[in-house]
Amino acid sequence: MTVVKTSLRNFLAHKGRMALSAVAVLLSVAFVCGTLVFTDTMNTTFDKLFSATSADVTISHEAAEDDDQGPRTGRPEALPASLVEQVTKADGVKSAEGAVVSMSVTVVDAANKKMGSDNGAPTIAGNWTRNDLKSMDITSGHAPRGPTDVMVDADTAEKHGLKLGDALRTIAVTGDIESRISGIASFKMTNPGATVVYFDTATAQRELLGRPDAFTHISVTAEEGVGDTRLKQHVATALDGAAGGPYKLQTAKEAADSGREDVGAFLDVMKYAMLGFAGIAFLVGIFLIVNTFSMLVTQRTREIGLMRAIGSSRGQVNRGVLVEALLLGVVGSILGVGAGVGLAVGLMQLMGSMGMELSTKDLTVAWTTPVVGLALGIVVTVVAAYIPARRAGKVSPMAALRDAGTPADGRAGWIRASIGLLLTGSGALLLYLTTQADKASEGSLLLGGGVVLTLIGFIVVGPLLAGVVVRAISAVLLRMFGPVGRMAERNALRNPRRTGATGAALMIGLALVACLSVVGSSMVASATQELDKSVGADFIIQSGPSGPIVPKAEKALRAAADIEHVTGYKMIKAELTAPDGAKETEELVAADPTYAKDLRREIVAGELAAAYGKNAMSVGSDYAERHGVKVGDTMTVAFTGGETAKLKIAAITSDESNVDKGAMYTNVTTAAQYLPADRVPPNMMMFAKAVDGKEKAAYAGLKKALADYPQFTVQDQTDFKQGLKDEVGQLLNIVYGLLALAIIVAVLGVVNTLALSVVERTREIGLMRAIGLSRRQLRRMIRMESVVIALFGALLGLGLGMGWGTTAQKLLALEGLGVLEIPWATILTVFVGSAFVGLFAALVPAFRAGRMNVLNAIATE
Amino acid sequence: MTTAMTIPRHGGTGGRTAVAARARQVVKAYGSGETRVVALDHVDVDINRGQFTAIMGPSGSGKSTLMHCLAGLDTVTSGEIHLDETEITKLKDKKLTQLRRDRIGFIFQAFNLLPTLNALENITLPMDIAGRRPDAAWLNRVVETVGLADRLKHRPTQLSGGQQQRVAVARALAARPEIIFGDEPTGNLDSRAGAEVLAFLRKSVDELGQTIVMVTHDPVAASYADRVLYLADGRIVDEMFSPTADQVLDRMKDFDARGRTS
Repeated sequence: MTVVKTSLRNFLAHKGRMALSAVAVLLSVAFVCGTLVFTDTMNTTFDKLFSATSADVTISHEAAEDDDQGPRTGRPEALPASLVEQVTKADGVKSAEGAVVSMSVTVVDAANKKMGSDNGAPTIAGNWTRNDLKSMDITSGHAPRGPTDVMVDADTAEKHGLKLGDALRTIAVTGDIESRISGIASFKMTNPGATVVYFDTATAQRELLGRPDAFTHISVTAEEGVGDTRLKQHVATALDGAAGGPYKLQTAKEAADSGREDVGAFLDVMKYAMLGFAGIAFLVGIFLIVNTFSMLVTQRTREIGLMRAIGSSRGQVNRGVLVEALLLGVVGSILGVGAGVGLAVGLMQLMGSMGMELSTKDLTVAWTTPVVGLALGIVVTVVAAYIPARRAGKVSPMAALRDAGTPADGRAGWIRASIGLLLTGSGALLLYLTTQADKASEGSLLLGGGVVLTLIGFIVVGPLLAGVVVRAISAVLLRMFGPVGRMAERNALRNPRRTGATGAALMIGLALVACLSVVGSSMVASATQELDKSVGADFIIQSGPSGPIVPKAEKALRAAADIEHVTGYKMIKAELTAPDGAKETEELVAADPTYAKDLRREIVAGELAAAYGKNAMSVGSDYAERHGVKVGDTMTVAFTGGETAKLKIAAITSDESNVDKGAMYTNVTTAAQYLPADRVPPNMMMFAKAVDGKEKAAYAGLKKALADYPQFTVQDQTDFKQGLKDEVGQLLNIVYGLLALAIIVAVLGVVNTLALSVVERTREIGLMRAIGLSRRQLRRMIRMESVVIALFGALLGLGLGMGWGTTAQKLLALEGLGVLEIPWATILTVFVGSAFVGLFAALVPAFRAGRMNVLNAIATE
Repeated sequence: MTTAMTIPRHGGTGGRTAVAARARQVVKAYGSGETRVVALDHVDVDINRGQFTAIMGPSGSGKSTLMHCLAGLDTVTSGEIHLDETEITKLKDKKLTQLRRDRIGFIFQAFNLLPTLNALENITLPMDIAGRRPDAAWLNRVVETVGLADRLKHRPTQLSGGQQQRVAVARALAARPEIIFGDEPTGNLDSRAGAEVLAFLRKSVDELGQTIVMVTHDPVAASYADRVLYLADGRIVDEMFSPTADQVLDRMKDFDARGRTS
């Protein structure tokens, strides 16, 4: 019991010195709990939404929602309207109602401004049904009654200031629907961001499906006392053998589950990515905790010696330190769990500002969340304190009798050196082997092993490197500051283990930053190079998530002036049978023949232009090799929803490419022969080439052509590359943002080390002040020490990270990442930034040192 | 006129006042009201230039406080302290730090040296901080005097206690300060090492004309001084010139006896 009591007193006595360690634990735990709470809340939100919107049993087309992108045709798969009557007759059915839902739409206001969100939340158009009343209330106006009525959801109306009577245009592949807002309906639960518009049933059928006699879903309501599962059986019996079948039947629960699965998969990716970053923060926090306890133990050497002298056992001393760590872990984790909930709320607000509405009403804190948070925080803290605790146990009773003075320097031994060098060496070997790998899959294993080994190796040899690197940095930076710089250098060097650990903590985060920045800019550079090499088109028009390029937009584009040619690019699903009999379902690229000029492909055999000839096609070299296909062979191509064609292979394209890798080309007119008109999908992408010298005018013309269709963008090559760069940049920024947590913890570590060093060196500081060191000089000395430690960490981290990044690029070269580009600007910014981080970290410790009483030096206990 | 910035001249009293430092009606009190403790109670004292002055007194007599105030390490509650012509009680921390750096030398009882610097670096530290170059000839002489020539590259942890104190003495001497203050400089040393250090201090007064003020409670140490000031309850109660250890001891016993009877 006394152990606990002494530990508790020690803990309280040194709470200031524990504070930063507690913050580190707090931050990491908060990040874990915040992630869990946030993703759980998202799940709850979607659960509620899906449960509320699902009918007892929903009937849909078997092929519905096979594709994340929505149907290639831009038209949802439809069911015959007659099915409704058939279902109504089934046992246990109270009512059945046909619904039309399409997500391949774009809604714009009178100024052609897009009403939908840009970040993945869908725009949904449909007919207003009784089933919708389960999830929505009409809050103003009335439900749509005629061809010009539209009802919009209240969130969208509020976001864009829409009022009753305002004009809205809904763009679908079948044409534009011009209507005026007749009503506004509010979701009864949280709508995370979907934009929803409702029409009356006839309008929805005609305009969204292009057929008056069809629905996309049928919502079936059960009679009192009939369970959903039984209802589903009854409906299945009634529909058995119905025309156009079989159909997909889902109970409310199944529908909600499948919806949740889609969202859940995305949420899981996000969750595990964020937990991964929390893990890195924990790893970094370990260094901070180890340093704190090491310093506490050193400072208390005499005290511990006394305890041992009067009869405490090693185990007791050891346990005493661990109990302190336990207390630290408990306090930090409890605060962390609380902060985690706050973080989740903050994240929800952040998402809100980006258009994803989440309500704190749905805030979900599962019981596992605090348990996981506490367990992680406590275990990590205690494990981190174990080494210092063991060292404390080893303090001899004689320590009580020795003059305290300053603690002896911790010297790194040769055992550590050889282990570290061994690890680093084998890691480097693995990295080298990675660059020699022939297959990406085996290479990535080597890369992972190499990264982990070099990281651990660097951490282990850190204290030794500290000696070399700190001297080198000091030689460049500090010597000019005379004796103050020299003292800062010596202070940074006096305990290499501490400097090493502090720097290593920073190293981890910065290594990842460097690695990713190298990979990211190599990606951009490689893609740019490939584009320059292969793209002949001047302009690219891409479709968005709201479906393919609608025919009206295509027409406008084709009519633009100063254009030499416009190329359409469609993807059509078909089952291919190679001459060897192998069947594969693939998506063919059906394009205009000019596509061969727009995208220059390397040809293995034949001639690409010929593939656009009548009943001809091309295949990729991988496919050709797999099935022994040669130019002149005939493929059997069964177009999904159409007829079967015999197409002659006229070219084989090389698969050593990033763009259109493995694509099979055929002429759009060839494909059209075998498909009913409404199964020929609109273009996925379009390309255009300007008349020579008229590029500017052409670009302006294309932009103007798309003015009515804000969901599509036209880009010239420069913009396209910039877009690519921005996209990679955005991704990197998100990752940097998440890594910021680990870096913040590392910076706390620098603050912690300095703060504890200042306390430890109270007498020295007093002495220096007594013999005439000014406050300014003293503060400068501490700042410089901090800068040196930070730069040490940065140098190691950037070096390591660039090594990893280069290796990754060499490996990814197999996947087409052929160009290595090291973003020197970023690297340099991070390096210089680290110096400032060092200055910043020293602010408080330096201030406190400056305020220290000079007389402390003379007060000899 | 001297300012805090002047590089101090050295040696004797030539052209300068015979008093290196003086305190007038110095009061140092801690706390207020009922808990008020007076450490120095209207102290008047002159420290003569080129002399070795010892301050003695029982624990809590205020001897260390007096030295800290004279040396500009501590502030006074009231009264004035002059170092030569400079009134240090009026100086702000910045000027005071410069004054300590340029005009005062210190030798503490323990922990005199920075563990990260070697002996030579420790000796030149005050001048390094000031950005001044040490006078090589003078430095050599000081190092010779304290007998450390072969230990200059050693770190403090590689030196014995006596050697460490000698380095501290050398540091105090090297910058040629107007006054050196010693706070029980031999308190942590055995008698032989202590005698060595005291002999150096004595020598520096006799040969180099250095002014030294030393706080001690060791009569033997005090006997090296030209003059001994006795402090009790924050006041100077007696002084003695050219003392011997026995005389000092007798006087101390006197005070002890008086203290007990009063």
